[in-house]
Amino acid sequence: MSPRLLPRFSFLERVVHWVVGVTFVVLLLTGLAFSYPSLFWLTMFVGGGPAARVLHPQVGALFGVGLLVMFLLWVKDMFLDALDKQWLGAVKHYAMHERDKVPPAGKYNAGQKMFFWLQSLLGVLFVVTGLLLWFPEYFGAGLLNTARLLHYVGALGGALLLIVHVYLGTVAYPGTARSMIDGKVTEAWARHHHPRWSGDRADG
Amino acid sequence: MPDTLAIKRISATPSAMIPLSSLRSSGPVYSKLVDISKCIGCKGCEVACKEWNDLKVEQTANFGSYQSHKDLSSNTWLLMRFNEVAVGDDDVDWLIKKDACLHCEDPGCLFACPAPGAIVQYQNGIVDFNQDQCIGCQYCVSGCPFDIPRFDKETKTVAKCNMCIDRVEAGLEPACVKTCPTNAIQWGLKEDMLALAEKKVETMQRRGFEHAALYNPGGVGGTHMMYVVPHGDRLEDYSLPAHPVASPMPLSGLNVLQRVGSYLLGFGVLGALGHLLAFGQESAEDSEGPGA
Repeated sequence: MSPRLLPRFSFLERVVHWVVGVTFVVLLLTGLAFSYPSLFWLTMFVGGGPAARVLHPQVGALFGVGLLVMFLLWVKDMFLDALDKQWLGAVKHYAMHERDKVPPAGKYNAGQKMFFWLQSLLGVLFVVTGLLLWFPEYFGAGLLNTARLLHYVGALGGALLLIVHVYLGTVAYPGTARSMIDGKVTEAWARHHHPRWSGDRADG
Repeated sequence: MPDTLAIKRISATPSAMIPLSSLRSSGPVYSKLVDISKCIGCKGCEVACKEWNDLKVEQTANFGSYQSHKDLSSNTWLLMRFNEVAVGDDDVDWLIKKDACLHCEDPGCLFACPAPGAIVQYQNGIVDFNQDQCIGCQYCVSGCPFDIPRFDKETKTVAKCNMCIDRVEAGLEPACVKTCPTNAIQWGLKEDMLALAEKKVETMQRRGFEHAALYNPGGVGGTHMMYVVPHGDRLEDYSLPAHPVASPMPLSGLNVLQRVGSYLLGFGVLGALGHLLAFGQESAEDSEGPGA
């Protein structure tokens, strides 16, 4: 018997997710090439150093737009409620797979919500500092060097978020990744990871 | 004497990757010495620079100064700046500065450059841009403490004075030196130029310019274009930064952070793997879930 499936992400949500995801990986690879001489060869994936210099900000603009759409689509579900605050206090048990000691999550758990706010904040940082570095002719050296520093700090934070995101969404919690492919999750998955949301779905 | 152009540093390239054969350090080390008190403002050096380096002529406009161009550009690598500075109520100092690459011993442009081979520093002191490898990011422009490199919107690369490296290689002096009618720009071994500068400063001080000084700033390891300035206490009036540094704060911080960051990224991946090994996967199908 095939398990009952619940719809989790709409077509638009999935497209936006992958626009942001793919552009971020391209940005990360070219950005790493600019930051680490030993990784400069990564520019060959987009056609060499000058091409990487041209494409990085253009892809970045698309990334920024995608992130903005994502923000508008999801922000209404991302405010922390009382149980979410308890969830944050129990994050250690969440990490140790002791799910019975973790307060039940809604459509998104508090970790995902914090992730959302962090990525939105980083997005603003990327766009502001990235615009300066895109058109350096118009800005002073001190400002540009500060922008380089902040852009790197943001990238480092974003890369660490990506590692956590991919790890949790694939190997750590089987059954999660398909929600960003066909948009569906099993009922068991929903009850296990997002009990309050699965309850809403079942009632509705 | 011809110069074999042994290499000292290459941008975005660890020194271990520079062939040892080109790292010989036995060759001559050169420097220009600009004695601003001897400059008569003829701009012959500007013309010689354009001519030798085959740089495009730019349309100029009178903006109320004897200065030829308003600013350096990718086609104007040398600009005599005619700074008029008011002294008291009814006097003016006309301070001329030869604005061009100073060829730092510790070049901020090279340290900031992410493109391997786009900036090369030679043992003789010359810092040269190699436009074939330039990616046009302009990090060198904001990495230069002297605001010298200029971006070319057509070629999407950055350019600056190359000390007429092709002449130096052939044992000749740079074109600006060759053409200067008053010897305000001189050329020779750095040690000889330092000795010469010392004498010039002494002479100036004897003649009443008590703050006369040599400009060879230590923050960039010294330069291979040095100045003797009559008013060493008023460097800013010559458009010379008093304390230039090769990699100032945001950039030096970035360098440290990039090193730390590479470890953090590595530990991030290892951490995820470690977590998987320690706690395994959490499958929803195995349990009924706590909230059910």
